[in-house]
Amino acid sequence: MIGATKKWLDPENPHLQEAISKTASEGLFSLQDVYHQLSVLRGNVENGDIQEWVKRAELSNEQNAKVRKVLCLHAGNLPLVGFQTALGVILSGADYYGKVSRKDPYLLSSFLEEIQRSDPEQKISYSRDLNSFEDLKADKVVFAGSEESVSDVKAEIKRLKAAKQGAEYIIRTAKFSIAYLDEWNADVRQDLTEAMLRYGGKGCRSVAVVVAPFGLDEVREELKQAINSYWKQNPQYQKPTSDLKYQYAYNEGIQQNQLWLNDFLIQESEELPDTDFTVNWVNGGKDTVRDLRISFGQMVQSVYTCEEVIEGIDTEPLSSAQSPPLYWKPDGVDVIKAVVG
Amino acid sequence: MITPDHIFDEQSSFEQKALRVFEYQRTNNPVYKRFFNALGIKEPAFASDIPLLPIQAFKDAKIITSEIDSPLYFQSSGTTGMVRSRHYIQDPELYQRSIIQGMLQFYDLEEYVTWAYTPGYNSNSNSSLIWMLNTLIKRDESGLSKFLELGEPLNESELREIQRSGKKLMLFGAAFGLLDVLDKHPSQLPRDSVILETGGMKTHRREITKEQLHKQLAEGFGLPESQIHSEYGMTELLSQAYAQGSLWFKSVPWMKVSIRDPKAPLKEVPLGEEGLIGVIDLANLYSCSFILTGDKGIQKEDGAFQVLGRWNLQNLRGCNFLIERD
Repeated sequence: MIGATKKWLDPENPHLQEAISKTASEGLFSLQDVYHQLSVLRGNVENGDIQEWVKRAELSNEQNAKVRKVLCLHAGNLPLVGFQTALGVILSGADYYGKVSRKDPYLLSSFLEEIQRSDPEQKISYSRDLNSFEDLKADKVVFAGSEESVSDVKAEIKRLKAAKQGAEYIIRTAKFSIAYLDEWNADVRQDLTEAMLRYGGKGCRSVAVVVAPFGLDEVREELKQAINSYWKQNPQYQKPTSDLKYQYAYNEGIQQNQLWLNDFLIQESEELPDTDFTVNWVNGGKDTVRDLRISFGQMVQSVYTCEEVIEGIDTEPLSSAQSPPLYWKPDGVDVIKAVVG
Repeated sequence: MITPDHIFDEQSSFEQKALRVFEYQRTNNPVYKRFFNALGIKEPAFASDIPLLPIQAFKDAKIITSEIDSPLYFQSSGTTGMVRSRHYIQDPELYQRSIIQGMLQFYDLEEYVTWAYTPGYNSNSNSSLIWMLNTLIKRDESGLSKFLELGEPLNESELREIQRSGKKLMLFGAAFGLLDVLDKHPSQLPRDSVILETGGMKTHRREITKEQLHKQLAEGFGLPESQIHSEYGMTELLSQAYAQGSLWFKSVPWMKVSIRDPKAPLKEVPLGEEGLIGVIDLANLYSCSFILTGDKGIQKEDGAFQVLGRWNLQNLRGCNFLIERD
């Protein structure tokens, strides 16, 4: 498994190259974002993250998910967003069935093909069409959803008999992450910029709420410079719809403090950050972080800090927001443990 | 300068009036002025080009067209700690005219006695609904119109008195409050009565569809479903729309509804598609007439619209597996 993953990640791998090329030519993601994701994964594998994950999940000959069918419905909001789930399911020993996103159809498929080539015994089946899983009767289903989409997805799976009656659903509901900044320097600016802007801010690990004891006005110019220099290296690929400019105009109307960047908006607000390309800046301390963590509930993936510990909350370093270890836990759940359990 | 008379003037077209009100508010309403300027769009040639201010503005700022402070304001109901909308009323008479002239578009008010049952609103001394009902009750010279005591059964002898007077009953109330009346004190209304429910979940103990609600009210009060009507109004609007025996609302002539694309609110969605309900309410002359609500709706060719609940914004961000789109 490790060998096959390394082989897939080899920059010279023609299958991966083809997948990257198709992804770029169809305009699905920016090359910078694809290369970033692959580079993070290479680092993970080199660091021994696969072994570490297996260890953390306490996988063994006795404890695994062999003969279990797991259906994964992968989202496609950023490149290879389904990779961790697919890898985790395969590592668990389960039979993997994946509905690959039409928005990211090549990269994950190239990985699955590589694994299949290296281990023909491993059950791997994937498709872009959910109908392909009719009568699958999976034991578990993993997907990213929201309050509104969950019932539709479950109804469709039921209609297709894609999952057993009583199958367990592992549903990811996290939408964004929070950063707490207790200091402001060049490193923090760089980490924050990456955490907010990578993948256009569309991942659940992306920072959409910043809590800091200083206001947006105090750091406006330096933040703007950091963002502009980030965009020089990583131009924002996907553009917002016009509701973002509407929000900017609304903020002007009510005289809300904001930093308008044409394709991205940072605004002082304690509201739920519910639209793409928007970050809400909240003036506050650790108590504010705790309050927001509670009020935003399951929509929060991670809370990042520079180094600070926030009592009662699990935190991660801001610098690893977009380069997490392979065993990071979407929604706080280890996918291997969830599949095995 | 545009005056309330212009708003209700039937000789001018809605288009003309809307563009005049836009010009007035763009000049005199500081919030709307800044909002419009920041959008950087060209001058509206038609009413449909006029940008709609998100309704949240009534929570976040003072929406007025001058610096004159008005002692009267309406405030939405809500729980402690919740930010509530506040609508400053510079000209109460204008609201009064909008209520009465608006209802007269749909009902011959001389024929009706109004009974109002409004649990959940009574504690809000700045409720626009209570103000509206007071206006209707005071207008009825028969003296039979009134607010009903909460938790009390409908008085049979008073019902008979309304019949004897030759008038019909209009039972006006928050939807779920009316269901509570039925639960506690089942009562049959005279067959020519009308129930006008205002929506609202103020007793919030049930979750049922509008169709179910109307069916239950009709069965419970012994009326045909065609006599269960609905009102669409809110603190931020000084005009109302009415649905008479169906789910389709029609607006008063000085109010126009459109359905906007949530991803591009300057655009209307094609007829029949869901979107955010946008309202141009010219009676909001001294606040803001151009409002983008947070409600989900659809519209027909004749302008009638349905309200489908609140628009859920939470799907707009992050990972989400959607069958149709993914």
